[in-house]
Amino acid sequence: MTEGLEQGILIGMIATGIRLATPYLLAALGEMLSQRSGVFNLGLEGIMLMGAFSGFYITYVSQSPLLGLLAAIVTGGLMGMLMAFVSVTLQAEQGISGIGLSMLGWGLSGLFFRLYVDGIQSIAGLKAWKIPGLGDIPIIGPMFFSHHFIVYFAFLLVPLLWFVLFRTTWGLSVRAVGMTPQAVDTMGVSVSGLRYQCLILGGMLAGLAGATLTVANTHMFADNITAGRGFIAIALVYFGRWSPWGILAGSLLFSMADSFQLWVQVLGINFPYEMAVMLPYIVTIIALMISFGRVWPPAALGKPYERGVRG
Amino acid sequence: MKNLKKQILLLIAMLLTASLLLAGCGGDSKPAPAKTEALKAQSNKIKIALVLPSTVDDMAWAQSMYEAVKKIQTDSKGEIELAVSERMGKPVDAGAAIRQYATQGFDIIIAHGAQYQSVVKEIAPEFPKITFAYGTGFQTGPNIFAYDPQAQEGAYVMGILAAKMSKSKIVGIVGPVEAGDAIKYNKGFMQGVAAAGGDVKTRIAYTGSFNEIVKAGEIAKTHMDAGADFLTGSSQQAVGAIKAVAGKPGTYWLSTDMDQSKVSPDAVLASQVYNWEKVLGKILELRKKGTLGGQHLTLSFADGMLELKYNPKLEAKIPADVKAAVEKAKKDIAAGTLKIELK
Repeated sequence: MTEGLEQGILIGMIATGIRLATPYLLAALGEMLSQRSGVFNLGLEGIMLMGAFSGFYITYVSQSPLLGLLAAIVTGGLMGMLMAFVSVTLQAEQGISGIGLSMLGWGLSGLFFRLYVDGIQSIAGLKAWKIPGLGDIPIIGPMFFSHHFIVYFAFLLVPLLWFVLFRTTWGLSVRAVGMTPQAVDTMGVSVSGLRYQCLILGGMLAGLAGATLTVANTHMFADNITAGRGFIAIALVYFGRWSPWGILAGSLLFSMADSFQLWVQVLGINFPYEMAVMLPYIVTIIALMISFGRVWPPAALGKPYERGVRG
Repeated sequence: MKNLKKQILLLIAMLLTASLLLAGCGGDSKPAPAKTEALKAQSNKIKIALVLPSTVDDMAWAQSMYEAVKKIQTDSKGEIELAVSERMGKPVDAGAAIRQYATQGFDIIIAHGAQYQSVVKEIAPEFPKITFAYGTGFQTGPNIFAYDPQAQEGAYVMGILAAKMSKSKIVGIVGPVEAGDAIKYNKGFMQGVAAAGGDVKTRIAYTGSFNEIVKAGEIAKTHMDAGADFLTGSSQQAVGAIKAVAGKPGTYWLSTDMDQSKVSPDAVLASQVYNWEKVLGKILELRKKGTLGGQHLTLSFADGMLELKYNPKLEAKIPADVKAAVEKAKKDIAAGTLKIELK
């Protein structure tokens, strides 16, 4: 019995960790794009909440989780566009406008929920999709290949975004615009245009991240359901040093530690729960402390670009 | 050009603030000017303000109180005015709201959360004619009522129910934070499970928060993966756990605070329900007689302010002998012959 149980625990722990990592990964990859282009989007939490709500609501009305996810992506993109309008076009202070966007998302999602949904409701939601073949492999299958498809999408996005950022002209422009926007401008590429694109894409990913929580994980919406995940995702961008692989490592480390502590608690291992709850944060901080090498943040991060003015 | 940009920015900032305020005070709270006008017009009405940590539709702690106040207001036929502040999770925000209500001449201010104890104790002495009430708590003041649900009582009988019905012999608790109500509830539940005999294990895990709905769901899933077939837990985040339990047929949830069977009619087997109406009725009556506070009001099986409600849809699944044991424990607790020690 013990061997089967131990195996079950291991499978459960890894599978839970991967499920928990998905929203962080999506939102952080989106934030990475924004920051690479030079805009620091603190509004991630608000975008996630709006995505969480619109994903839930459209699924609730249409009975179709796919439509819900689509709505969340569109809503996220619109929120990203709003952030771009305020921070790129109007050149507002990015930290403040991001916090404003966070509060806006929190307020609006709660208000819409109150106005259009009668209390706490269930939706059919997204079911797990076992990848044929891979999902049947013992142990590995249930750990990695028996999730809902957003999980696969999020993990596939890591190499994809790496390729786009480091192997395409568009990626080069994005990285350049976050470092020396003047240079990009001189080349005749629109700085604002690129930043708009990155913020909208980032918003779409954050919207999807929010919808993962409602449409895929919990099958419900409630006020402030993201509970600070947007801010953790922003921290993960720094942890991952603006690289898709680094962000993948950070999301996995944080979520695996989280999943591990849940199991430690559930199995009744004698360990103070306050410490257990802190574990993912502590592990992440320690990993950050012992990892070395220079950090190269986008040099123009947080600075609005104005032609003719030296940054 | 620069000026125009600044103006647009200002406009947007104002729009953002306005929408935030709109959202934050949604529901039944009325804008401030209306309140002061109403105050001048009808001074003999009883004005009640309710400060809530989450929202009036959280299907848990806050909603249970809100529905009771709303019912009393409806029954009073216009004698009671009500204002509600939601999402006051942070005691500092709540303190600002409480002070505002106090200066606007509200008669009774209910701060519905254990975390409000210190702000209530700080503000109440400045407004000796206003009745303040908060809970869970027991520390009172001349114009402060503390209400105190004996969460362990219902938890104990539901512990018996879970232990006697569990097939896997494992029951799980999804805890918020090890404090206040949750301690009472969890201890009561564990003692109930132990009292039922049959070597049933109780496992407990905390999210570290009261409103981590997603994490509560994950803990419930982990409990079920680890073999639990009966789960319970307190606070507003429990709805997330209920949804997770509903996803696995054959597992059941036991609720507290209010009847949560509406959340998932096929998963919630029974609920411990707080009868806030009676508590409020008592506060109103005492106030009428001139007692503005100073009492520690308990909600228990003995005084009828605590109830155990079975979900009518699932009630038939409870074997007769189990139900008899549950009802007997309930009776013994009410009679005082069975005491639940909270060490």
